[in-house]
Amino acid sequence: MSAITALWVSIFLGSCAQVFLKKGVSPGGESAVPSSYPALLRSGWVWAWAVCFFFATGLWLIAIARIEVSFAFPMLSAGYLLVAVLSIFLLKERIPPARWAAILVITIGVAIIYKSS
Amino acid sequence: MGSFMKTAPISLRERAEGGQAPGLSWEWTAFGAIVLASCGHLLIKVGLVAAVRGVAYPGMLPKILHYLLEPEVAAGLAIYAAGTALWISAVSRRNISFLYPLTALNYVLVGMGGRLFLGEHISTGRWLGIAVVVAGVALMQLSVMGEKS
Repeated sequence: MSAITALWVSIFLGSCAQVFLKKGVSPGGESAVPSSYPALLRSGWVWAWAVCFFFATGLWLIAIARIEVSFAFPMLSAGYLLVAVLSIFLLKERIPPARWAAILVITIGVAIIYKSS
Repeated sequence: MGSFMKTAPISLRERAEGGQAPGLSWEWTAFGAIVLASCGHLLIKVGLVAAVRGVAYPGMLPKILHYLLEPEVAAGLAIYAAGTALWISAVSRRNISFLYPLTALNYVLVGMGGRLFLGEHISTGRWLGIAVVVAGVALMQLSVMGEKS
């Protein structure tokens, strides 16, 4: 796997991890009472978070072993867009237009960083 | 002893009214967390530069495990974990919506560290991209504040 592929897969898995964790800790949405710790350990979503988190970190190491950290680190903010899209499908979150505008600006920044390398 | 018993509850109440948990102020914990996170990432990179030289791995998992055992990588991850602990302490003092945009400073610090300590060349385009991302994170915050009011 090339370093840049490792970076993209790491960003994707890291974003999945956030959404899975949210799904695990508040299965009924934002207003739900947080689960107890034993309940969290029985949650498949929490385990999915742990696996994604481990491989996201591992692939991040593989990526920055070869890629400049001043390039790879700000590229992580591509996760803002990914988390937003995943949260619509998995968490049924509604994203207001102003937040989309901010996510668009962040994504333009990521594109500029990507293009400038 | 008697006077201590009298004064302790008052000072606790004062803290509660002031909204301030005991210990370091939010400025120290939040900016400390951000500096530690950036240092952690830079140290991980230093360790990986040493680890990749002329090593072939039988697969992805052995590669990841070898990287994790590299001293600077392990130290970098530990510093990052310490930063996360400080961050949790900062979050207990101020609202997350106020603190979160400060983490965009990490992009600037990692960029500066990469340039100063790792000899990375940062083009004007890359600095521009970093600035746009930081502006976007700040904008995200403004949109969240707009939703609440």
